[in-house]
Amino acid sequence: MDGLRRNDAATLRALYMQHFPTVCGFVLRNSGTTRDAEDVFQEAMTVLWLKAKEEALQDASDPGAFLFRVAKNKWLDHLRSAAHRHMKVVHDERLPDHHDEADAGLEQRIVRLRGVYDKLDEKCRNVLDRFYFERKDLAAIADEMGVGEESIRTIKYRCMMRLRAFRRAIAGEEGNNER
Amino acid sequence: MNKGALDRDRFEAIEAYVLGTMPQAERARFEQELAASPALRAELELQREHIRAVELGGMDRLLKEIGHEGRVSERRSTPWTAYLKYAAAVALLLGVAVWAFMRPTAHERIFAAHYTADPGLPVAMGASDDHAFHDAMVAYKLGDLAEARNAWTALLHSDPQNDTLRYYIASAALAMGDANAAIPAFGELADGHSAFTAKARWYLLLAYVRAGEVAKAKGVALDDDPVYGERARAIKAEL
Repeated sequence: MDGLRRNDAATLRALYMQHFPTVCGFVLRNSGTTRDAEDVFQEAMTVLWLKAKEEALQDASDPGAFLFRVAKNKWLDHLRSAAHRHMKVVHDERLPDHHDEADAGLEQRIVRLRGVYDKLDEKCRNVLDRFYFERKDLAAIADEMGVGEESIRTIKYRCMMRLRAFRRAIAGEEGNNER
Repeated sequence: MNKGALDRDRFEAIEAYVLGTMPQAERARFEQELAASPALRAELELQREHIRAVELGGMDRLLKEIGHEGRVSERRSTPWTAYLKYAAAVALLLGVAVWAFMRPTAHERIFAAHYTADPGLPVAMGASDDHAFHDAMVAYKLGDLAEARNAWTALLHSDPQNDTLRYYIASAALAMGDANAAIPAFGELADGHSAFTAKARWYLLLAYVRAGEVAKAKGVALDDDPVYGERARAIKAEL
């Protein structure tokens, strides 16, 4: 769990490689493709990661079981959609087929956070991703991007202030609408 | 949410708290302040949310990369690998043919050997900073040359004698490979007497080389310059 909380790429790769085949097998047995399996598995990984980040996941939790449950529910939701109603689902009985409300809350939060991220342009993403996700220091980022450390510091500040200004504008609009 | 501006020091203090990099003593003080200030708590929550959004963006990118790596390694283990050597041979032949048609001229090789784009000016924050100029400088440093060039060109309309703008517009043009646009702008600066004169002559020389204008390149007065003289003489000897 500590590796997940630190956004450690090696931990994420290991989890992916270890648990994707099980999800892939389930999706393939239920009318899906490998690409479908990737989509639901990656979403499940994101939910697991956010849960670990927000201290809502116990260290003793079984990440494989969690990933399978979330990915399975996502795929079943997809199959239940109008386009797939005629298909017969081959259930995997290892785990009860239920939706966890807390997970649904996390999924809504993920949608909201992606909406925030969408407001950033490529330049900002390039710098902020390295600093906040990869946890590189300013000197390393400056070195990688061939610019001065002070420039990176300024770019980071400006990009975060753009997000803040955007959120303030939204809050203002919501305030006006409520009046 | 706090309605006012958030200065950089304050932003970085909140950031350090969220990332857990704030020293212990400072953290205790910060927490006291947090307990007393609803505005600071709101600012903290907002910044935590923004950092989480950026992390999520990184997470999505990394997961796609891992998925892609998995697909690539799967493809490598299929019988198609047997055909890879033939594909490689075809690619090599095509590559040689393309190189034969597209290989750089002697002038382009000299240009490439000597040209390094101007690194730009430091981008620092300050109350009197010209934000439009510095935003363009940020774009320039990050390789968004067209964006920088367009922004500076727009600023030049209201300040046509600004040597800094003229120099960096020309620098962006040359970095984009547009030597013909860079030449007149560097030429005007090279004829003047400003902080940019020597640098403008150096890049004018390189722009002439890039454009294949050998006689004009040789005519750029830079041979005795203490910074660029030696390199200018070396280029002229190669031409």
